Amino acid sequence: MSRRLIATALVLATSTAFADEPAAPTAAATPTPTAVVAATPAPDAPPDLGDQGIGAELGAATGGHITPGGLRIAGHYLYQLSSQDWFDGIAAFTFGGGTPACFRDRMDVYLCDHGLAQGDEIEIAATVRHFFGQNRDQFWPFLRGGLGIGIVRYASDGVTGLAIPFHAGAGIRASITPSLALTIEGDVQLGFGAFNHTLGLEPQLGLALTAGVEFKL
Amino acid sequence: MRIAALAALAAAATVSCQSSDVSRAVGARCDTNAECDIKCLQPSGDWPGGFCTLLCDDSSGCPTDARCIDEEGGVCAFTCTDDPSCAFLGTGYSCKAVDSKGAGAKVMVCRGG
Repeated sequence: MSRRLIATALVLATSTAFADEPAAPTAAATPTPTAVVAATPAPDAPPDLGDQGIGAELGAATGGHITPGGLRIAGHYLYQLSSQDWFDGIAAFTFGGGTPACFRDRMDVYLCDHGLAQGDEIEIAATVRHFFGQNRDQFWPFLRGGLGIGIVRYASDGVTGLAIPFHAGAGIRASITPSLALTIEGDVQLGFGAFNHTLGLEPQLGLALTAGVEFKL
Repeated sequence: MRIAALAALAAAATVSCQSSDVSRAVGARCDTNAECDIKCLQPSGDWPGGFCTLLCDDSSGCPTDARCIDEEGGVCAFTCTDDPSCAFLGTGYSCKAVDSKGAGAKVMVCRGG
């Protein structure tokens, strides 16, 4: 009798903690605790993430040439698409500053050769985050890919451009509490940008490493 | 297939990265000092198209492929062996012997005039 009560309490507690998830089977429908455990499906993604979440990240980005790099601050909005996939909308800011690095070569072609951590950028990106593994306890690896659009600015050279980078990243999400998690991820951006000063189309190639926190909504 | 496409894009990006023998420090075209790290020798017969340069007291203050010459109080100019070795600077430049600064001798550098 006491084992049956414990099983019932366990199921009720789980239903309360993850209210957005489908209701778990009741003790009445599952006569023994062993049956309750066996009927619970292994999660495909962090159970604490929920169907919506927000996050903030801080880190460093490296660029060079005419891809901005520097301090990276990003905000995330997550929306569940499937059992393992979330839409990951990002607003990112890169602050690199820097000194003038553009000049006219002897053919009168305007060139820029900025350092790894120079330039500023404001970007929004639409990506999809895919979690790997099932039935993990705390650490959830993921891949992320998508497309962004951003405004790049090298103020010291008066160079401005519109960049369209493809993003590919990977990271790990660590569940801390039922509504909070920490993340760490690396992101590669590869694309092109259209710039003024006769620069025209230029490649965009950068790398960012960030860490942050996410909250369930 | 996706990996191949990404590799091709990366290769294209690498190829399209521009490089130059000149820089904002020494050799870039210019009309004003703002276009250079330090100083612009404005367009003239001596410096066709303008010439970004550094101020110097001797050649230790210049890049390895440049020497300090006794003009404008001391500026860096590219060394050369003959006229074709100045061709990368464009028309109007040739290899000339000028007074060096800090060494008290003639040195061969690219300049106009």
